[in-house]
Amino acid sequence: MDTFLLLTISILFGIGTFLILRRDIIKMIIGVVILCHSVHMMIVSVGAFDGIKAPIIESSKYPQPEYIFKDSISEGIFAPVVPESVSVIYMDPLVQALVLTAIVINLAITAFLLILAYRIYEEYGTMDADELRRLRG
Amino acid sequence: MNILEHTIVFMIAIPFLVASLMILTRPFPEIQKKLNVLVSIVLLILSVYLFSQVWQNGIIAYDIGDWGKYGIVLVADLLSASMVLLSSIITFLALLFSLDYIDDKSQNTTYHSLYNLLIAGLNGTFLTGDLFNLFVFFEILLIASCGLLIANEKVEITPSSHKMEAVYKYLILNIIATLFMLVAIASLYGTLGTLNMADMALRIGYMNENGTLPWHLIPTALLFIVVFGNKAAIFPLHFWLPDAHPTAPSPISAILSGILIKVGAYGFIRFYYLIFEGNLEIFQPIIIFLGLATIIIGSISAVGQDDIKKVLAYHSIGQIGYVFIGIGMGTVYALAAALIYLINHAISKSMLFLVSGCIVHKIGTRDMRKIGGLSSTEPFLGLMFLVGIMSISGLPPTSGFIAKFVLFDAGISGGFYIPILIAVIFSLFTLFSMFKSWQRIFWGEIKDNIFEKENIHQNSKTMLSSLVIMTVIIFVIGLYAEPLIAITLETAEQILDPQLYIDAIIPGEVR
Repeated sequence: MDTFLLLTISILFGIGTFLILRRDIIKMIIGVVILCHSVHMMIVSVGAFDGIKAPIIESSKYPQPEYIFKDSISEGIFAPVVPESVSVIYMDPLVQALVLTAIVINLAITAFLLILAYRIYEEYGTMDADELRRLRG
Repeated sequence: MNILEHTIVFMIAIPFLVASLMILTRPFPEIQKKLNVLVSIVLLILSVYLFSQVWQNGIIAYDIGDWGKYGIVLVADLLSASMVLLSSIITFLALLFSLDYIDDKSQNTTYHSLYNLLIAGLNGTFLTGDLFNLFVFFEILLIASCGLLIANEKVEITPSSHKMEAVYKYLILNIIATLFMLVAIASLYGTLGTLNMADMALRIGYMNENGTLPWHLIPTALLFIVVFGNKAAIFPLHFWLPDAHPTAPSPISAILSGILIKVGAYGFIRFYYLIFEGNLEIFQPIIIFLGLATIIIGSISAVGQDDIKKVLAYHSIGQIGYVFIGIGMGTVYALAAALIYLINHAISKSMLFLVSGCIVHKIGTRDMRKIGGLSSTEPFLGLMFLVGIMSISGLPPTSGFIAKFVLFDAGISGGFYIPILIAVIFSLFTLFSMFKSWQRIFWGEIKDNIFEKENIHQNSKTMLSSLVIMTVIIFVIGLYAEPLIAITLETAEQILDPQLYIDAIIPGEVR
């Protein structure tokens, strides 16, 4: 994995955590979004190998494609994860599908949070999270 | 082609379809109500059918789109099928209750469609065999339950500002937990190259045999304690629960307390008995310790509350701790006991929340200091509340007695004397806090001011009928517990033998 990618992810994670600990509700929401982004980047980075071809997993139903990737549990090869000694010419497309789903969910949650922040502002007249203490749970 | 083969996917697809239908039928509130009740009954029947199928034929695996272990797999083993059955019962009864309880305006706009989304999320969480799919269903659950939390009751007991505040806390804490889940899923995927739970279990089992398990899988597994612990509201992660559960309308509190926090317990069972099966000894002390801390915090906090629903909410925290020490002990008997406890708590706590909903509906306040002497005007509610607190604090002849007895018996026969001692001591706190609130609400001097409010609502027959059904279930389990114990023992044996689950999903030749 790329060192710069790792650094970016960790710095974004730090910024997100810092913003979530702020008192302002909008800053907290921005923090949640940045945290989400760093996590999404982490998911994508999991599948980033040195290659551009998609791994095709062997199937009996379809004709055999050019690049075949086999599970071989006895050798410690868990498709598409391989030991570091084995060089690979593909990248993992599944993580990109995963991150699309995660981004859509993040969109829904951010929209909900922003509406909620607006309603809280209407009810309480403030954006300070420390003022939200009517419940005393 | 037999259409009943697809029961598993119907359990998820029907609620999703109906949720969108509910948006289209918004101009016809009566049709909406009838359709939703009908769908709930259909889902209840289907879940009974699914359970009987699993009981007779063993684990059912359903490939969506025929991709095998690379695609999304839905799995119904005994644990998932019984959880789906439980959630269908509770959601059906809570729906019956909510028809007359929830404000008409809320019902006509979003209530029914979000309710179906919640059911779909619950069924999906219990039935999925894919880790990322589990995350997606968690998010559906989260968003749907947030929307339902804001729904208004007919009596205005909770100001909107309280609801906004509760939802805000609930949402932020749960989003952070689900982000942890994403991190954990990504690192699991990066190590194992699969998202299928059975496949993961197979590969981790292989690594365990060869001693090549990378060290970072253990912290990843510990991250899942944060994720499911937040869902289940165990000790250091419970702060959202006492705000969110009381502010929700009563039928929704019943679902949140009855089923939604059990999702966390279900996740624990799936993870530590299926995926990380060979490494259980690392997690066992953590789970038992957290369970005990949860019992202590929840039981003590429940004693000092004045708000009737807040007592029940803190009490839910305490009770989930008992489930967790059952899960942590890890023998067949203890696991069965944890499942019995879980079922008992789901039914009794939902019933108590519904009774408190009836009281709130009638009186218009949740503050026990303003209620008193209700037994003269509402003897039926007093009886129902008594049955609920008897069951929840473990007095015979109710189901709670069976649950507590089996759990303590399992703990003593397993040699866990100190955790059981602590659990017994703090179950006395439960008894005390519950009977204290019963006494404060139904006995004592009659407070005149409570009936002077302008809009007194009468409890309708549908609301009371759902209470009666729950009472019947409580007494049936309490007096004739043999079938339940047999089912849970069989379930526990199936959980402790993950090879059955793996074989059902991944046939030998694919490996």
